[in-house]
Amino acid sequence: MADYLGQTTDIILGQDFLTWLWFRSEVTNGNFSSKEGRPYNLYVEQRISVQGGEGETLETATVSGSTSELKEARLGLSMGKKVTRALIRIEQDTEAWQLTLKAEDFSLGSLKTPKVEKADANEEDDVDGPFLEKIYLIESCLTLLDDTYRTFLETRLSNDWKETVQKIGQWLNNSE
Amino acid sequence: MGFLNASTSFTRYKITEPVPKELWPEIPEKLRQFSFKEIEESAEERGWGWVCFDDMLDSSWHTAPPEKGAYLTFSLRLDTRRIPAAVMKKHVAIAIREEERKIKEQGKKYVSRERKKELKEQVQLKLRARTLPVPAEFHVVWNMQTNDVYFASTQAKVLELFVDYFAQTFGVDLEPMTPYSLAISLMGEDIAEKLDTLEPANFA
Repeated sequence: MADYLGQTTDIILGQDFLTWLWFRSEVTNGNFSSKEGRPYNLYVEQRISVQGGEGETLETATVSGSTSELKEARLGLSMGKKVTRALIRIEQDTEAWQLTLKAEDFSLGSLKTPKVEKADANEEDDVDGPFLEKIYLIESCLTLLDDTYRTFLETRLSNDWKETVQKIGQWLNNSE
Repeated sequence: MGFLNASTSFTRYKITEPVPKELWPEIPEKLRQFSFKEIEESAEERGWGWVCFDDMLDSSWHTAPPEKGAYLTFSLRLDTRRIPAAVMKKHVAIAIREEERKIKEQGKKYVSRERKKELKEQVQLKLRARTLPVPAEFHVVWNMQTNDVYFASTQAKVLELFVDYFAQTFGVDLEPMTPYSLAISLMGEDIAEKLDTLEPANFA
């Protein structure tokens, strides 16, 4: 995206959110709770990008591995890099979503929803059924992401944030 | 790119100002008014407009209306003519050689810079007319209850075109739900001041 007013704030918020999300999902085993109090699980997994520096010294490390602890990405974080992109898995009840979230603009990449049944050719009345089900599943995922982001903002904008930053620092040191 | 695929990449927007009530019944007509017009028979480099969500060849909504439940659905169709660089290079070389031959007869030696530019433009136009436009389609889903709008692309240039054309068609502006505007949308305007003075955290 081209440069625009407020871009710096977008980058700060987005990167802090993804970094916090990685930490928060690991220390709580992915346990989160929605605005209405319904539990869901969210994991940052498999593929993560960290970035640091600026201009010509900009460095990005993208690390992937299904069961690895993403050591290099952690190392990057402990050297002051930030998470710029993360693969996220969300589970609620028996359903699961997967997507890549980009820190700077929150664009959503490769969102996979639970499977939608194909339309029954005989049911002409319900031609929009599969679409409505799909969009319902997409919006359910967005609601959970928004709930997670709200949880982050409540911490980020409160006086507890300093303490959280320290905890994230400790978490990084312990995992080295 | 579409929302019905197994995996979708998209960008979230919100119409943050109130949508005028009289707009809703006018939407199908506005879509037709700003619908995609075929550029195959022309030499246009790009052509775009709205088409039916269910069929990108339908720009008059014969297949299905834009309404699906509480959603408005349509697609942005964007056709682009791309002349491969090597093809362009070859035809420019031919044109310049031809020109050199002509001016030699007039006793001149070099083709001027201006004339070269002119020749290049002529070649481009000629080749464009012979190149088939490549069609692309991007789904749009507009939740009429929340005024959230989802657009099935994350390419900066396509997003820019979409936002401009949406405003031009419906007279309402889309706000991208980036970290900042999503925060305001979730927590209210009161937090704006805090967000504006935010310092990046140092976790190291």
